[in-house]
Amino acid sequence: MTTSYRLGIDIGGTFSDFAVVDDADGTIRVEKTLTSAHAPEESVMRGIGNLAGAVPDLLARTGEVIHATTLVTNVILERKGAKTGLIATEGFRDILELAREVRYDIYDMFIRLPEPMVPRRRRIGVPERVLADGSVLVPLDETTVRRAAAVFRDEDVAAVAVSFLHSYRNGAHERRAAEILREELPGVTVSLSHEVHPEPKEYERTSTTVIDAYVKAVAEGYLERLAEGLAKRGYRERLFIMLSNGGTATVETAKRVPVQIVESGPAAGVEAAAYFGRLLGLDNLLSFDMGGTTAKLCIIENGRAARTRTYEVDRVHRFKAGSGLPAAVPVYDLLEIGAGGGSIARVDDLGLIQVGPDSAGSAPGPACYDLGGTAPTVTDADLVLGYLNPDYFLGGRMRLDRGAAERAVAGHLAVETGLTTLEAAAGVHEIVNENMASAAQVYVAEKGKAPPELSMVAFGGAGPVHAAGLARKLGCPRLVIPPHSGVMSSLGLLAAPVAFERSRAVRRILKAVDLESVESGFREIESEAGELMPDGVAPIVRRSVDLRYSGQDYPLEIEAAGPCDAPSTKLDWETRFEAAYHGLYGKVDDDNPVELASIRVHVSQPPPALEIARPAAESDAPPKASREIHVSAGSGMERVAVYERTALRIGQEIVGPAVIEERESTTVIGPGDRLKVDPLGCLVVDLVIQRPTAAAGGADETPVSATFGRK
Amino acid sequence: MQLDPVTIQILWNRLITIVDEAATGLMRTAYTPSVKEYHDFCCALFDANARMLSHSTVTTAGFLGIVPEVLRNFIAKHPPETLRPGDAIITNDPWIASGHLIDISIAAPIFHRDRIVGYTLCIVHHLDMGGRMSTLESKDMYEEGLKIPILKLFDEGRLNETVFDFMRANIRVPDKVLGDVRAQLVANNVCSRGLKALLEEYRLDGLETLGAEVIHRTESSLRRKIAALPDGSYRNVAVLPKIPGCDDDVVVKIEVRVDGDGVTVDYSGSSGEVGAAINCSYNMTRSYTAYPVKLALDPHVPNNDGGLRPITVIAPEGTVVNSRPPAATWGRTMISHLFPEIVFATMENIMPESVLASNGGSPANEVYLHGRHRDGRSFLAIAQHSGGFGASARHDGYPCLCFPNNTRNIPIEVTENEARMYYVRKELRTDSGGPGRNRGGVGQEVEFAILDGGTELARDVESSVRLSGRTEDGTFPVFGRLGGRNGRGSGLWHNGDPVDHGVYRRLAPGDRMRFVLSGGGGYGDPFERDPERVLADVEQGYVSIERAEEDYGVVIDAAGMTVDTEATRLLRTGRTGRAGRAEPAQ
Repeated sequence: MTTSYRLGIDIGGTFSDFAVVDDADGTIRVEKTLTSAHAPEESVMRGIGNLAGAVPDLLARTGEVIHATTLVTNVILERKGAKTGLIATEGFRDILELAREVRYDIYDMFIRLPEPMVPRRRRIGVPERVLADGSVLVPLDETTVRRAAAVFRDEDVAAVAVSFLHSYRNGAHERRAAEILREELPGVTVSLSHEVHPEPKEYERTSTTVIDAYVKAVAEGYLERLAEGLAKRGYRERLFIMLSNGGTATVETAKRVPVQIVESGPAAGVEAAAYFGRLLGLDNLLSFDMGGTTAKLCIIENGRAARTRTYEVDRVHRFKAGSGLPAAVPVYDLLEIGAGGGSIARVDDLGLIQVGPDSAGSAPGPACYDLGGTAPTVTDADLVLGYLNPDYFLGGRMRLDRGAAERAVAGHLAVETGLTTLEAAAGVHEIVNENMASAAQVYVAEKGKAPPELSMVAFGGAGPVHAAGLARKLGCPRLVIPPHSGVMSSLGLLAAPVAFERSRAVRRILKAVDLESVESGFREIESEAGELMPDGVAPIVRRSVDLRYSGQDYPLEIEAAGPCDAPSTKLDWETRFEAAYHGLYGKVDDDNPVELASIRVHVSQPPPALEIARPAAESDAPPKASREIHVSAGSGMERVAVYERTALRIGQEIVGPAVIEERESTTVIGPGDRLKVDPLGCLVVDLVIQRPTAAAGGADETPVSATFGRK
Repeated sequence: MQLDPVTIQILWNRLITIVDEAATGLMRTAYTPSVKEYHDFCCALFDANARMLSHSTVTTAGFLGIVPEVLRNFIAKHPPETLRPGDAIITNDPWIASGHLIDISIAAPIFHRDRIVGYTLCIVHHLDMGGRMSTLESKDMYEEGLKIPILKLFDEGRLNETVFDFMRANIRVPDKVLGDVRAQLVANNVCSRGLKALLEEYRLDGLETLGAEVIHRTESSLRRKIAALPDGSYRNVAVLPKIPGCDDDVVVKIEVRVDGDGVTVDYSGSSGEVGAAINCSYNMTRSYTAYPVKLALDPHVPNNDGGLRPITVIAPEGTVVNSRPPAATWGRTMISHLFPEIVFATMENIMPESVLASNGGSPANEVYLHGRHRDGRSFLAIAQHSGGFGASARHDGYPCLCFPNNTRNIPIEVTENEARMYYVRKELRTDSGGPGRNRGGVGQEVEFAILDGGTELARDVESSVRLSGRTEDGTFPVFGRLGGRNGRGSGLWHNGDPVDHGVYRRLAPGDRMRFVLSGGGGYGDPFERDPERVLADVEQGYVSIERAEEDYGVVIDAAGMTVDTEATRLLRTGRTGRAGRAEPAQ
């Protein structure tokens, strides 16, 4: 039997999404089922069962299953991981609890911090010491490790994290401790800090390792049951798991360091956005996923999403940096904002409207759901403003109560602020957009991009309603609303090329670096990454170098295409680094030499040729209706045309203001915005943007430090 | 021009976003752990009238009330009509800026449509400014390092190279310090860009209307909270811990007068300037006096000039709380870090739910190490460790959490990569938290040792370890509040011998320095603490079985790790006098 099918499975907190593509003819089928929180693998089997009704011999004909899951995140949030012990260098077992000794909110005396995942009595110090240069000051005391194992045995510990000082430079003691633990505690999982996160800063490394240990047994069990379940149903090929940075790993790799799949679902959404960007030939994207509780944004540059290593889990305040536990793993650098359809609006002590970050969720839900919610939410405001059709929400499966929405906005917001109901609703819409825009502005600037360079790809239930407003605020000139936005993440799994990344620290002054050794370093990590690729496919290799001024921490990643053997190579890297630095900070630091922090390769398969059913209409669809919506600030309601998305013809153009409705979402465009249906069925909107004429920067910046020269 | 509530909220958030972006630029382009890890800095944005509109979320508390004064001083010297695009002004004058030479302030005007619409300012605590470095022993400012008067660092975009030449010639690690100075320029650039983009986007000519709105809202909100307090005059006297090598007693007298919607804090009668490097400038005193009022009464409204206006601080010139040049100031936090808890102690009876017991780590610990590596390169490393957090009406104190300044610890692995030393231990200390219905956070014990550099040049290391100096039997222990007991432990040992803190010491390879940072003060009567919570503390090793009985009247059966309910009841009801009440700061 040929195996032309590929199957993407995204297990979310509420719903599990499936997308199967037949690469022979490009047909796609999608499926959605409720997630079984207690046993997510059962949702997988159920969804496959449902799909198999329409696709005979589904698993036998499937050549690749790619999977994303929120399992690890949920284990952490619900504290349902393994009973974990920690072995640390003697004298330093409390590093996990001491953290950085800082308050994340300088004005709040009563802040709460997350509980350490390992209580003090299960943190054991053992005599051993490696110094900063990797030399051994105190050899590992193996007897104490065995004694610690005995304590863990008595406590029924199921997972052990080992984190010794400077192990990122010399991991021998951690490895030996692991051998002993495996002898003494068969069946107990062990996580080593130099494997999980081989970087300095003991708290961040220890925290990451403990989280890894904590989720490992659960993740292993789940992934094994999943693989077995698939095999039992006739699946013979490899199972891939999406990592938090969009890479795809085999089940074996994911089981080895499961903390790496903590953001696997959102990563799949980013992959989907990147896929549509590629098809449309857009180099620089801002993916925008707005659901019920949060909005997630991510920059995708030349097909690659920004990544971070300062990720936190289990935040006490979801949107306050520093209130969680650091998990320093490669994660797509998503900006998560407490802004969704369910975000609640209120008037604060100062008489100002605030929106979110708390959400009415699905229960009690927005006032207009008539499920008991009375607080005004973003969805209520969108309904009052005419953006949502009360009779066509989820394709009409759920009716919205416009009167309830108006009462909520009037009663909770309009009276106290002295605004009309319409003004208050417009205020909520505007503020939630502005909350997203102001957070996005910092995020975009941190990545060294400017919004005018970015096209926004919007999805999620509330994304297309707010996308034009947000993009306009940010100054993104173009907006793309792809088809199937309700199952974007599972689609992303099919669209993502199998990809791996490898890097190697160099930490040497660029001028003093020997290019031959850099070239051989590149070749080595390329072959390491290449070994993980499926056979028979020539991989695409992309090289880059991380450069910074010597002494700084944050490098900038500079593309380093081709072999590095030309005499001009270093100068070329340095020139492009300085240009990037100048663009970000308005200056360069030519007092200090440029350092090659590390080299990096990204190895991938060619992106799969995923084809999606196209709109079939032969002629332009006329509006199916018209209704009054709030078009712009300060104006009242205006009557605009409403279109049915599935009826639109490829190439059809619509000039805003207009509303385009579909089952899972609604797209709203403003006056003068020009929408066109592209051949893939994407709505591509060119927005009317009034951009500042002055470029960022200017004469009052303290300029290039050419005059800072050393005397 | 009128602004509606929606637009105000949007623009207010943006003003904060802009300075946060500036702080990110600063951290990413900085060279020393002082900025990258320790986070001892502040970025702030002002309107054209030099009113502070926002400050960075990441900052230290002491700068919050200072930045507006710094900018006003800059403008007094360089009036707006003399400023041009591309100008930047610098100083580290303790009395003009933030109270000691080691902090450099740099400000720049922001021009938009050919006029000044605002200012950006960035203050950074640097690694070195020459002089005797970080010691309490200096007798005057001239010993403490290089002073940079108010100067134009940039004049219409041209660097005043003389400033850098002088700095380079006087500082031990000039590349790093000047690297951080350049990061400050980045912060100002980023802030300036952000404001201009905002003005363009909203088609605003300036910040006058918006500035007045946000300041008014912050001010009136705080005034409403003050007005809810009972009017009256509340007095206190604090005899601060002895400063090593200084014979003078340091006494802080305080009177807090609550009058309608304003508060006056009067330090008249406090000690005169002393011959130790602990003298505060008025700016510093005012900043750490206004901070606890905002913290206790109105923490959730973003701060700006309006958060300072309801609070008047009176401090007679020539006292330790308003010193004059050339008093020595390096360790001014030895006094200023105590103002928040002195204010809390003075006001605890009128706002008992809003105060913290003393923090075991205030004034902040600072560790300096200076020497040479094996290859001859100089190093200068800084570190900080915190004591236990004070308990409150709501919660136990967390172990080792910084207050009031709020700087992060510097990772052990960062310091060990920087300096020729290694840590021997850094761990929580059992029984150090002040007993109380809510317990003070436990403190910690830290020890480090010097490594041999292998050459004569790379032998000894100069090191100073500054602690709070607060001991249980001293005049100023780590106070509990409202019946809570004092936090415990504090001290410094060199190779096992107790030694003075805050002074430089020459350490040979193998030498060890050990220090203990106290736990926080407790809150409420410890005999009222739920025995099960005491048991949980014993299980965590925060409290020993012996102390559970002695301090909390809770008897624990060690074998089964259970509370002996009957023995506990007898002990708790039978003990006369119960736990001694904590003395307020007097």
